[in-house]
Amino acid sequence: MTLKGKTAIISGATRGIGKAIALELARQGAKISFNYLKSVNEALDLEKEIAALGSCAKAFQSDIKDFGAVADWVNKSKETFGGLDIVINNAGIIRDKALAMMAPEDWLEVINTNLIGTINLSRAAIMTLLKQKSGQIVNISSVTGVVGMPRQTNYAASKAGIIGFTKALAKEVAAYGIRVNAVAPGFIETDMVGQLKDDLRAKLNAKIPLGRFGKPEEVAKAVQFLISERAGYITGQVIVMDGGLSIS
Amino acid sequence: MAANFEEIKKDVKKKVAEITELPEDKLKEDAKFVEDLGVDSMMALEIVASIEKKYKISIPEEEIPTIRCLNDVYAILEKRIK
Repeated sequence: MTLKGKTAIISGATRGIGKAIALELARQGAKISFNYLKSVNEALDLEKEIAALGSCAKAFQSDIKDFGAVADWVNKSKETFGGLDIVINNAGIIRDKALAMMAPEDWLEVINTNLIGTINLSRAAIMTLLKQKSGQIVNISSVTGVVGMPRQTNYAASKAGIIGFTKALAKEVAAYGIRVNAVAPGFIETDMVGQLKDDLRAKLNAKIPLGRFGKPEEVAKAVQFLISERAGYITGQVIVMDGGLSIS
Repeated sequence: MAANFEEIKKDVKKKVAEITELPEDKLKEDAKFVEDLGVDSMMALEIVASIEKKYKISIPEEEIPTIRCLNDVYAILEKRIK
């Protein structure tokens, strides 16, 4: 229970990697505040699941793209739990297409959710962390933000943007006892990659040195490590978790 | 109160000079911390933390970025103390 008494705020936690992170941090004793946009049933289920683990969670309906809504979520969250210690910027979407076929809404929606959403939540939370001179921020980037993947120019730009944001913010707030890091997952078993056809999965697996997709729980463990004291000397870093895909 | 507040302003100026590492005579009331005095923008946070502690007040987070000069510090403080 390394996070007993701490409060974590997580964007987009109703499924996939975000949900695994919420459960992992709750298992470590953290109180969890998370947002959802439309998945109200999944949000309520997660609240119950976390309560069953002996911790507590509260879901807030908030659009990560809207700074005012995010600031309101952060304020309500602080009122509910009496503080804020950990920020996990996870909310992300994909709209994969070749650039030649992409419409403006395809890149705006992806950049606004993934990158602007990360800035929105960080900005809404940072003053609290600065004033208390402690805090942890972990941003969920992607291996595509590091090496680039075809048909993901919008997603890759948003995730590479998160890496730049992570490094700049890490330098800015280090003097205040705040660490900022990122994880860059490759193919992880989530709804996002669940729609891949079997033959494509097999092809991708063949390209991954470890020969399999990652599990959301594995990403959650890395996030848990980064916010723990064991990572007390790590800031501004990106941990690539892709089974070796980016080195193959 | 007016006389008292003049005393408070003196104290605050001294504190701000200490935090920003600037001599008090250089710290003109309307000189912008960042643009005119070359102070790190994050110093506003140190100033707020220091006056919150000293005067036992709470300054809302959204007001912190509006602190650009010594007069802004006085204004925020005056609003809360009076």
